[in-house]
Amino acid sequence: MIYKILIVDDEEAVRELFSELLEKEGHKTSVCATGEETLEMLKKENFDVVLLDIKLPGISGLEVLKNIRDAYKNLPVVMITGFGYDEDLIAKTKQFGCSGYIGKNMPISQIITTFKQFVKIAKEKV
Amino acid sequence: MLCLDNKENIIFCNKKFKEITGLKDSQIIGKNWLNVLFLNNDNNIQRDLLKAVMDDSMKYSRSKDFEVALLDNNGNEKFILWNLTPIQAENNQTNGNILAGHDITEAKERGSSLKNIDETLKNVFSKIKEYALYLINLDGNITYFGMGSEAMLGWDKQDILFKHVSILHNFKSSDGLHFILENIRNYGKYETELDLVTKNREMIPVILSAHQFLDLNGKLSGYIFIAKDITERRKLEFQVIQGEKLAALGQLSAGIAHEINNPLFVIAAKLELLKTEKLSAKVKNDLELINLQTERIRKLVDRILKFSRKKIPIFEPIQINDAIELVLPLLYYNNLSMVKIEIKKNFDVNMARVNGDLHQLQEVFLNLLINACQSMPNGGVVEITTTNIKNLYAQIQIKDTGSGISPGQLKNIFMPFFSTKSEGTGLGLSICHNIIKNHNGTIELNSEVNHGTVFTIKLPFI
Repeated sequence: MIYKILIVDDEEAVRELFSELLEKEGHKTSVCATGEETLEMLKKENFDVVLLDIKLPGISGLEVLKNIRDAYKNLPVVMITGFGYDEDLIAKTKQFGCSGYIGKNMPISQIITTFKQFVKIAKEKV
Repeated sequence: MLCLDNKENIIFCNKKFKEITGLKDSQIIGKNWLNVLFLNNDNNIQRDLLKAVMDDSMKYSRSKDFEVALLDNNGNEKFILWNLTPIQAENNQTNGNILAGHDITEAKERGSSLKNIDETLKNVFSKIKEYALYLINLDGNITYFGMGSEAMLGWDKQDILFKHVSILHNFKSSDGLHFILENIRNYGKYETELDLVTKNREMIPVILSAHQFLDLNGKLSGYIFIAKDITERRKLEFQVIQGEKLAALGQLSAGIAHEINNPLFVIAAKLELLKTEKLSAKVKNDLELINLQTERIRKLVDRILKFSRKKIPIFEPIQINDAIELVLPLLYYNNLSMVKIEIKKNFDVNMARVNGDLHQLQEVFLNLLINACQSMPNGGVVEITTTNIKNLYAQIQIKDTGSGISPGQLKNIFMPFFSTKSEGTGLGLSICHNIIKNHNGTIELNSEVNHGTVFTIKLPFI
């Protein structure tokens, strides 16, 4: 299955990396650096999955997730987490209906498998 | 009142004497005064003494005062202060004596009860160990060494009296003492925190308050020092400061670790992607080396963030003995040479449960056990002892026979990034410290170089 994925992270190197990993798997990717940009982008284009960093400058990842849930009920959102991310915050994203997490502390192979699993589950739910 | 003739026989006595002694005229008049006074009293020494007083008085025709205890007719002791005055005839010869007695029993009793209060106070003061009170004269020599001084400072009174006070004060030069004395002279008193030196040359932190000591004419005759031992307070202050330092370091290191996180992720991911490329053997080898070093950084960052993260423990009732038992097999998976290490368990079977986060507590035990084993590269004994202390808390002691920790290193042992091992991150013990603190417990250690270390953890029962 080929997906159109929107990658949101404030750090360019991380965005490029995810883009490279996912395109290697055959997916199509677009990138955004902020929450505001993400919401604009979603209005213009249709995406199958959003890969969203919890920590963002401006509107936080959590706010973006809430907005997406309100506007696009069935769009799977996979959160990017890492070492030292606030556990309470992570718990809240679950409450707001994120589809899963991939951690920056995971080995690459695991990132891809985990990502695939989450998207699969999210799509099945729809 | 008694009148004696020149042969020392009683020729007259007043009513009061008869009242007090309960004797009749027939038992008094014409009798030797000493026989009457000592009728019920066989204190011969006092009797001889009085005889001497009388002889002296007669010989020199001088009035004398003396004290005798009499028994009244109820058998109670009465203290009488007598005045003996010779009656002189015209030829200057002594004709007889008049003995005028004054009952001083009450005053005496008051005096002795005052003495009792004095004794009691002295006893009370000598038991106060937190306060030392000593006086010095204008030359700076110790003239009084009282209250808890002996107990606090280890000196015996007789050894220290009249020695210069510099023996107690930890001043590098005499300026320190002069400064204090100058202040007392100018402002009447002075208060400061300093260290006093005990007989064994140990330092005791005290709050020293010093005052003028004035004589009856209001002239400065010395200085009074009252020292309060603040060792316990200092310990608490140290713990608070230590705690604050840990918290600050935690925040700082978490901030740094976080910033390292993203670039590290990118490096690690790119390295993994490069592995699939066709590269020369040398490049592949170098990439492997870079990968290993990156992994090291990743582990360190993981550790730092674990340390700084305020993870709230998930409490459940825990049987300490079982928790330790479960950790022991893990020791063998930690690349330790366990061949020559013997593990002894002295578990108190009568152990109540503590409220704790099992994983966190096990992390502590594992950490301490690994440290113990690492301190004994040539083998030794690790002794794990659990004790139920008065049904109040569980005490867990982990004792090794390893290399020990030097006193200089001991005070920093719980500080993050402080390690005695060349490959240690210095976070293990500070993580343990945090976990135990979050469990309302305490962790302490005693160590002796080349003899070993004992860690003592106390956790309150539910």
